[in-house]
Amino acid sequence: MITTLASNLGRFFLLVLLQVLILERLDVANGWIVPYLYVLFLLMLPFELPNWAGMLIGAVTGLVLDAFGSTPGMHMSACTVMMFARIHLLRLMAPRDGYEFGMRPTVPRMGLAWFATNAGVLILLHHLWLFFVEMHRFDAFFATLLRAILSAAFTLGLALLTQFLTSRASERARA
Amino acid sequence: MRDLFRFLYRIRDTLLFLALLLIALVLLYNGNMHHRSIAINSSNAVAGTLFTWRNQVTEYTNLREVNARLVEENTAWRNRFGIGADVMDSTLRPAGDSAIWQPFTFTAAKVVHATYHKPLNYLTLDQGSVSHLHEDMGVVGPSGIVGVVRAVSPRFASVISVLNTDLRTSVKVKRTGHFGLLYWNTMDAATASVIDIPKHGRVREQDTIVTMGGDGIFPPGVPVGEVLSVDNPPGRPDLNVRIRLFEDMARVGYVYVVEDRLRSERDSLESLQPTR
Repeated sequence: MITTLASNLGRFFLLVLLQVLILERLDVANGWIVPYLYVLFLLMLPFELPNWAGMLIGAVTGLVLDAFGSTPGMHMSACTVMMFARIHLLRLMAPRDGYEFGMRPTVPRMGLAWFATNAGVLILLHHLWLFFVEMHRFDAFFATLLRAILSAAFTLGLALLTQFLTSRASERARA
Repeated sequence: MRDLFRFLYRIRDTLLFLALLLIALVLLYNGNMHHRSIAINSSNAVAGTLFTWRNQVTEYTNLREVNARLVEENTAWRNRFGIGADVMDSTLRPAGDSAIWQPFTFTAAKVVHATYHKPLNYLTLDQGSVSHLHEDMGVVGPSGIVGVVRAVSPRFASVISVLNTDLRTSVKVKRTGHFGLLYWNTMDAATASVIDIPKHGRVREQDTIVTMGGDGIFPPGVPVGEVLSVDNPPGRPDLNVRIRLFEDMARVGYVYVVEDRLRSERDSLESLQPTR
């Protein structure tokens, strides 16, 4: 319980700092790709977390990002939408006997296919919402759509990379 | 009644979701409509301090370039005023002479955080209300305009970049005097558009665009950009002008924040006039 809390808090600070200090300024492909890897924190929240807590944590995380980016409500709305969708997606993707206690939504525990599907859907939803709210209009529809999809793919790639880079260490810790 | 409560309990997740979404949308709407009222911006102490730390780590990597730009700017000032003139001016200036009273004063600030590749870009400066900065002050760089202060904390200021679809600034064509609005819809950090220039204003390529002034934000005549292309869309009353911005927003390091000292006087006079 305590270790879960500590590791999630650590992940929160690490990912938010990584986001606002480095990723936010990363100019990939001339502004066509802006990765928002901080959502990995929300994707890796434990299954046992009550739904209301998940949505509240999502909203607060978004608000923190908004405070750094001077964009009140933008990340907050995107994270809230994503965490609401996560409730239903986790229900849809549950194993036949439900989630076991202590199961974590990570690649080593749930498998690559499960993680990639779960993260892919949620990241795409988050990025679509975020990029369209950011434009706050629907002209340049296809350009925004393309930016959102490219960025979501890039974020998913970073998320998978992070999983592979950190899973070895966590596996060792468990053994 | 029991059924109602049971129903509400069953959809509690959806209700919480809607409540949170509503809060977020209210923030979003207020943030875009009157960005002054909300404190969620990068002038807050935590964000400002973090950005300053990062800046302290990274600023050494571009000192060479910053030096070169400062020398360039010094040269430009020297060329404008001559080397002898400023010495004369400072030694022979009579005390309290209103003829050389400056309506605009400038505060130097360092950019500690800036984005330029998103639809809504902001900058964070390392000066705030302690240095007498306040909202709606213009921000200019060594080569041209950069943005407008949107919020300040004691030690930091959050600035709307010219690369932000929420910002519109009055500008004019230097050669002809026709005015228009600077509006960033090109989604490209090097260029912007000037809208609302009437078709009879004969704008040419390579015309210089400068600020209009008189808005209490920018002094008149601050360089903005150079006309790249002029489009004459049929059926519209105004031209479609694309410009290249003079200030390179991708590497803006030091800026000057403009205080219009006559602004409050002008504002209070204008508010006295009957609105009819």
